[in-house]
Amino acid sequence: MRGVESLQEFARSRGVPEKTIFALALALEECGSNIVNHALKRDPQRTFHVVIEQAGETFVMELRDDGPPFDPTAAPDRPQAQDDDLPGGWGIQLVRRNMDEVRYARAGDENILRLTRRLDPAAGGK
Amino acid sequence: MPLTIQVERNTDPQRAGVVTIKLTGSLDTATAPELDRELTACLAGPVNDLVFDLAGLKFVSSAGLRLFSIARKQIVQRGGGHTSFINVQPQVAEVMAIIEKLPGFALFRDIAALDRYLDSRRSPSAGKG
Repeated sequence: MRGVESLQEFARSRGVPEKTIFALALALEECGSNIVNHALKRDPQRTFHVVIEQAGETFVMELRDDGPPFDPTAAPDRPQAQDDDLPGGWGIQLVRRNMDEVRYARAGDENILRLTRRLDPAAGGK
Repeated sequence: MPLTIQVERNTDPQRAGVVTIKLTGSLDTATAPELDRELTACLAGPVNDLVFDLAGLKFVSSAGLRLFSIARKQIVQRGGGHTSFINVQPQVAEVMAIIEKLPGFALFRDIAALDRYLDSRRSPSAGKG
């Protein structure tokens, strides 16, 4: 995913540790593919927007799409996969594990997903 | 980052039916269909145990976990074989923690630990490691 590569380049240019870059890339990959599958219905003509921002020790990724309302955070928290799990539930679990905050909002015709990760483990980051 | 897939069928008669798949690079939404095709072809043959060597795998997402799980189910349904993983890198292991307790999965530190386990299935005196 092009956005993931851009994120990795940006984070490396800021000196973010590789372990944290892995976590950020995983969260963006999962949320991005969710949007492509659910909101954009895999239509290659449609796009979504990602804004990546580092403010001090906080890294924020904001994803916006104009698909129908879809709140990935509404999925139940199941830290361990079950044998009869349907495909699709594990991505949001990985996002929760790797981000400090995951917030969804619907504003006008847009889904807005805001992912936050603190960079300094001493400050409570993962 | 692309994904490179190498499939090796074990020629040792003691290990007949053991297929090793070496993954290098990134297993994500973009590359998962490549592994899906390889697995479909591989599982069409006589496979009892599947071993993923992840020494070169730098990234995995839930798209990869789903393929591992699908392979696991097929191997289990064939008669109780295992889908094993060796040389898993630390961050990939963290991602895989979500599925590692599913029945039919086994993670091993390296090929020696896996060999001990495969031996133990023939001889009760050896142990899993």
